[in-house]
This record gives sequence, C-alpha cells and structure tokens, in this order.
Amino acid sequence: MLRYVVRRLVMLLGIVVVISIGSFYLIHLLPGDPAAVILGTGDTPANRAILYKQLGLDRPMVVQYFIWLRNILHGNFGISFISQTSVASTIRAALPIDLELIALSQILAFAAAIPLAMRSARKPDGIVDRILGAGSFTLLSIPPFIIIVLLVLVISIKLGISNTGPSSYVSFGTDWIVNLESLTLPAFTLAIGSFVLYYRVLRSDLIATLQEEFITVARSKGISRRRIMWRHAFRPSSVALLGSAGVNIGGLLASGFVVEYLLAIPGLGYTLIAAINASDYLLVQGIVLVVSVGVVVINFLFDFVINIVDPRISRE
Amino acid sequence: MSEVPLLEVRELSVTFETAGGPLPAVSGVSFTVGPNETLGIVGESGSGKTVLARSIMGLQPRARVTTTGSVRLNGSETVGASETELRRLWSTEVAMIFQDPMTALNPVMRVGKQIDETLRVRLGMSRPAAKARAIELLEMVGIPSPAQRYNAYPGQLSGGMRQRVVIAAALACTPKLLLADEPTTGLDVTIQAQILNLLDDLKDRLHMSVVLITHDLGVVATRTSHLAVMYAGRIVEFGATRDVFAHHRMPYTRALLESSPRVANPSHTRLAAIPGRPPNLLTLGEGCAFAPRCAYANDRCHVERPPLSAPDAAGHSFACWNPLSEESR
Amino acid sequence: MSESLNELGVLERPEASTPLGWLFWVCVGWLTLNVLAAIFANVLPLVDPLYQNYNVVNAGPSLHHLLGTDDLGRDIFSRIVFGSRVSIAVGVGAMLIGFGIGAPLGMLAAYRRGRFDTIVTTVMYVFLAFPAIVAVIAVLSFWTPRSLLKIILVIGLASVPLVYRVIRTATMAIATKDFVIAAKVQGATDRRILIKELLPNIAPIGVSFLLIGIATVVTLEGALAFLGLSVNPPTPSWGNMINESRTVMSQNPWLVLFPSLALCLFLLCLNFIGDRLRSHFDVTEVKL
Repeated sequence: MLRYVVRRLVMLLGIVVVISIGSFYLIHLLPGDPAAVILGTGDTPANRAILYKQLGLDRPMVVQYFIWLRNILHGNFGISFISQTSVASTIRAALPIDLELIALSQILAFAAAIPLAMRSARKPDGIVDRILGAGSFTLLSIPPFIIIVLLVLVISIKLGISNTGPSSYVSFGTDWIVNLESLTLPAFTLAIGSFVLYYRVLRSDLIATLQEEFITVARSKGISRRRIMWRHAFRPSSVALLGSAGVNIGGLLASGFVVEYLLAIPGLGYTLIAAINASDYLLVQGIVLVVSVGVVVINFLFDFVINIVDPRISRE
Repeated sequence: MSEVPLLEVRELSVTFETAGGPLPAVSGVSFTVGPNETLGIVGESGSGKTVLARSIMGLQPRARVTTTGSVRLNGSETVGASETELRRLWSTEVAMIFQDPMTALNPVMRVGKQIDETLRVRLGMSRPAAKARAIELLEMVGIPSPAQRYNAYPGQLSGGMRQRVVIAAALACTPKLLLADEPTTGLDVTIQAQILNLLDDLKDRLHMSVVLITHDLGVVATRTSHLAVMYAGRIVEFGATRDVFAHHRMPYTRALLESSPRVANPSHTRLAAIPGRPPNLLTLGEGCAFAPRCAYANDRCHVERPPLSAPDAAGHSFACWNPLSEESR
Repeated sequence: MSESLNELGVLERPEASTPLGWLFWVCVGWLTLNVLAAIFANVLPLVDPLYQNYNVVNAGPSLHHLLGTDDLGRDIFSRIVFGSRVSIAVGVGAMLIGFGIGAPLGMLAAYRRGRFDTIVTTVMYVFLAFPAIVAVIAVLSFWTPRSLLKIILVIGLASVPLVYRVIRTATMAIATKDFVIAAKVQGATDRRILIKELLPNIAPIGVSFLLIGIATVVTLEGALAFLGLSVNPPTPSWGNMINESRTVMSQNPWLVLFPSLALCLFLLCLNFIGDRLRSHFDVTEVKL
C-alpha cells in the first residue's frame, strides 16, 4: 500500500511539473511581443519594467521558467495590469464558488445514480431498467449548455421563480438560502451529465457483481436483499464508479465554466472568460494552472480512495 | 433410516429452459436424511449434484427453471417457497458450503465481518458479542491467531484458510443440516484431508446432519453413513455406504469405483477409465442414460429406463436391468 | 445459474450479436442528410445565412422561413444548415487528427510492446492526467487570432492520448489471440499482420469510438462557442446560435429551440450508432 502511494505521488509530481511547463509556455503562444499583449492599455515604461522583472522576459526561456516557478511557489501569481489586482487574491475569491457548485452537483448525481443503478441491476432488462436506460441515453446527448439555457428559459423566465436566473448569485456568507437557490439550476445541470455516467457505470458493475458466487453465499446465510445490495454488492462494484468520478471532474469544470458564465456566477469559469475577453493573460494563466493542478490532485485523491475501497488493487 | 427425517426429498426434478430445449438437470430424485446422519452424493461432474444441492437450499434462480417435487427441511417445504420464507431456514436450519473458497468470500470485506454478519442479522446479536463469537468460530475451525485473522481480507489467506472461514460462516448459527458441495475440490490434496476431517469432527460436536457432495469416492468411503450415486440427473444406486461399496449392483457404480485409486491395490495398477462421455442431457433417449457406455447393456437398456428398485432389507436400491451379481463383481 | 449450467456442460450460447434495428438506419439516414446538407449548403436553394431582412424580425416558422427568423431577420433554417458546417468540420477534423496520430501509435505500441510501448505509454498517460478540456481552453485563449483550423488542430491533438489508450487496449486484446500468433509463426511480416490481422479486428471498436468521439468534440465546440473561443460571429455555428439567442430568449424561444434540437439530434444519432455498433460487434466495453 505504502509503495503504491509513493509511486503514485512521484507520478503526480511529474505531471504537475509538466502542467507548470505548459502553463508557463502559454504566454509565449501570444502573437508578437508578449509584454505588449499582457500590458495592453497599461503599456507604460514603468509597468514594462515591472513585468520584465517579474517574468524575466529579457532572459533565456529556461531561466524565465525558473523565475516564474519560484514566484508561483511563493504564491505570487503576479499582478494583473488590466484590473490592478493580485491574480492570487482573485483566484482565492473565486475558487470556493466552484468547489461549492461541484460538491452540490456531485451530491445530487450520486444520490440519484446509486439507488437507480441498484434498482436497474436488480432486474436487468426489466421494464424499469429499459426506461432508465433509454432516458439516460437521451440525456447523454444533451449538452449542459443547452440544459441550462432551457432550464433558465422555463424556470426563471416562463415560471418566474425568483433567485434562479442570471446574476442572482449571492455569496454563502451573505445569505445562504439565496445562495443555494441561485446555485440550484447550475448544480442540477452539472449533476445530469455526472448522473448519466455514474448510473451507467455502476449499473453494469452491479450486474456483474450480483452474479458472483459470494452473493449467492451471502443469500444462503439468510441476509436480506437490501443488505446484500448495500453491504456486499455495492463496495466491490464501486471501483469503476470512483474512477470515472475522478476523471469526470475535469469535464465537470469545463461545463461549470459555461454554466457560471451564463448565469454570471463569479467562480473561476466566469472569471476566466472575463479575463480572456479583457486580454488579462496573467489571470488566465493563473487560473489554468490552479485548475489543472486541482484536477490532477483530485484524480490522485480518488485513486487513493479506490485503494481503500478495494484492497485488491494495491496488492497487485 | 430411523426417527423423523430432517431432510426429505421427494421426486425432485429441476429443468432448465435453454436455447437447445428443456434440460433435465435433476430428475425424480428422492431420499431422506435423518438426524446426525451423513449422506454422500457421488457422481461425475455434470451429473446434477450441484443443481440438486442448490435446489434443496432453494437457492436455484427461478428464471427459466422449473422445479417440481418436494423438499421438506425439518418439516418446511422449500420448493416454491418465497425467499422471505427461505431466509428463516437458511443459516439456522440449513447451511451450505460452496465449492470454491476463492469465490465464496466477498473480496472487499474483512473475513470476520462475513461471519459475524450472520450472527447479527439472523440471531440479533450485538456487535461485540458477535465479534467474540466469530473469533470463537474461527478458532473452532482451526485458524491460528483468530483475533488477528478476524481483520484479514480473503486475499490475505490461503485457499485452505479461506475454506475454513467459509465453514465457520456456514456454522455460525449452528444449522441442523449442512450441505457441503465439493468442499475440497478447489484445494491442494494435502489440505483436502484436513478440511474433511474438520467437517467430520464438527459434525459430531454440533450434532449436525451432513450431505456431502463429491465426485471422489475416496472422500465418502469412510465419512458417510449412506451413499447415493447420481448419473445424468438421477439416483442410480442408493444404500448404506459400506453396502454400496461391497455389494454394488449398478455397473456405473463399479465403473466409478474402478476409476478411483485404492490403497489396497498394488502400486502401478492401471485405473480403469469409464469409456465414452457423460451424456448430453438435452438429447437423452428413452433408455438408461448409462447404456451407451455400459458393457452389460442389451436392447432393453436402450429403449426402457430402469426404475430405482425397491430397497432390500438393508435399504439398498439400484436402477439397472442387468444388475451385477456377486460372481460378476 | 450459468455456473450450474456450465457444470452440466451446456454453456448458454452468448446471445447472437444484437441486430442493428431500424432505429439505427434512421440515425444513419439523418446523419447522412446532415452531412450532405453541410457539404452542399452553397448549392442548395438557401437564403444567405448572413442576410438581414429587417421586415421579418423574430418571425415564427412559416412557409417562407421554415424555422422562422432571428432578431436580425436572418433565416434560422439556413443558419442551422450553414452552422452545421462548423460543428461537423471541427468534429470530423479533430477526430481525423486524433485517430491519424493516436491509432497507429496505439496499434504499434500494443503489437511491438517492449521499450517503445513503455515510453509512448508513459508519455501518453502523463498527458491523459492533464485535464484536456482546460488545456484546450487555455491554448485557444492565448493562441490568437483564432481560426477554424487552429480549433481543429488543438482539439485534435488534445484527443490523441485518449485515442491512443483505447486503440492500444483493443489491440492488446487481439494481438495475443491465437490467429495472430499463428500468423507470426508462419513468418508473416509485421506490416502484413498489422494491416491484415489486427486492423480488421480493431476497426469495429475504432469506428464506434470515433463516432462517440465526434459527438464529444461537437459538444466541446458548442461549449467553446459559448465561451467565445470558437469561430467568431457572424459566422453561424450551432453553439454561437444558441448563445446569441439567449438575450432574446423570452420574446423568441424558437431561436433557442431549433439550433438546440438540431445539435441534440445530431449527437443522439452519433451516440446511438456508436453504441449499437459496439454491441453489434460484441466488443467488450473499454473503460474510459
């Protein structure tokens, strides 16, 4: 187990290094003089001097990377010359909103996927299973940006339910009820994609597990169907579920960006799009770095949980 | 067979609906097992032993399976009973040990939990009491340092240890009847005897009846009081174990005996293989299922199935038109 | 039950490969129609998708404008047909790049094994751990000015590791089969084995994954259009049509519904065909 964790940690570190190189290099994708593009309207000799010092733009590329990396490791993501605020503090303000949104959507997705997958697996190809199968397949083909647009159209505009439309976001600290109301539609939208994935993965694994001999053995002890499902079948069937949940987080962020942008929820996605539109490249770079590392770390944590759930994996 | 039978099987038939037509896995099987008796059921693989065991338990899946006849467990009928009714019998009246200890234990559940789960669910024991009892059970089946093994996952135990855990789980609620379906097939030869001796010992200590299912005549010879020989889903010979070994009448029983090694034989004695293959149950004809492989078969054997004879004074019965006599044996 | 039947020597035959069914052909037909319309949009008798007719603004469906007009009086039907060109070009183009690089590498790595496989697989897995969608957004936001070709290139390259993994796994399952080993023993060249023995067996899962991949890319392009990272308006694409319509959604819901419907039907057909092909060829599900 320990060896496994160490090996994964080394891999994690390698991936983070690659991500940092990629994020660093983004600046050099900009056409022409990067300094001119980054500074934008703030292109004064004084600002230019600050930027050169901050990024080491007059030094060789490799040196630039290490200067940049040292700053990042000290929590210094630079100062945006567009908004005159520190990139780090902007990210710190936005990040919790994404975390809340993702947490809410995942709770919804699991709460729906687990019992429905169990229901389907109890009688594969039964009427309930067929209906759920067809329904989930259809949902699979509706992109989240269409779902959110339609939900806003029906619920916020046609039905006029308050605190659900664009720009209704309030921070959790200000008024947590309105906060939850304003996050209902986005969380629901993000949950649908995850639900379809989790339902399908868990269903097929449960069906396979329920045919195992140890399930028959558990039945022969006189244990109820319900207890067998939860205590005996669920855990060995949840490895692929957790794996796909970990991988799903990356895709969830992208859908989350769109949803935030549409409803003007000031999370990382909204901030990112605003930064792209304002050509605030240091902010874009900072967000890309934080999000990428975040996704990789979440993946790693899921891997870790999988090992606890199924002790067979790390023993291999 | 004295006293009230603990297990009474009457005309049990189990038929699968398959793509190739109805498949009679078990046909018209009847026998009884009394308290503290051990019945051995022997047959080649494919003779319907496992299906028989699962049908007695009521564990056979119901979809595309037709079960007729009667199985009374301590007076309760299991054929056609709902799973809720059966659950009341499982563990406390009857328990089963499965063939392969590698697949019979939940790989992601600590072995101790798999034992005390039964105690808590079926006997309503408290968590600490169940744990203490589970450790006792582990000790009873001969697992060293049971308190530590309680927390092990099945993957951390050897095959023999796992089968001991399976036995401990099956015996947790001290069932009156234990069905052991090839309990040693998946194990090393050296471990096999240990497990069988353990079962023998536990049977006496817990006053259980045991149905021991196996393809190995050597296993049943000394450990059973009665013996049923199965072929193609039917019982073809039945009697007291010693009687069947000494005075078998059915050529198939003899073939089985000759195909298993015996200590009494001089070394390098060639084992007699049974000619031909086990029959395809989908295409069974009217005659005796063993006839195509039988050296004694005549025309009648191919067209008319011999019924199981009425038991003689010793309770010995057989299904054969040309039974072996003392001379031909 | 399979266990006990097994013991009886009567293995239940695996269910004969599921028939494709009529719905499959309806989907194929719809996709063909979409693709043909996209290719021949210029020659079809369609209104110019950029022509603004201020006499019919926000009109509902009529004979003149089959699906109505938008807030600038542009014909929605024509814009949907022209808009499909962007979606289809990005979907097909990116997957051609992804498969063009990922599939040969995956086959070769699975067939050769050894150090080549170790190196390529390690590199690919590092990139797989990288959140591809974030990378696409990042590169597209920096690599200006944006064009259709850049979008195709960036998404295509980002999909290479995924394609690589699927094809490598599929090849590995087949490369160890007896008929491949037999061909090797008989002295067939590597090239011949790869093309004659492996390729035909991997093709079904490849095609199925290709279709589902196109659906994913088309969805991604829609999301990018929402974020302003796809082709610039006024060029229509399904994504930016839906995005633009939001502002007038309450007055003219048709504007949201029709392009959404076009996109969803397109995706549904791709997913359905991909799914059916996979179960038809009875390929065990490769876990993604």
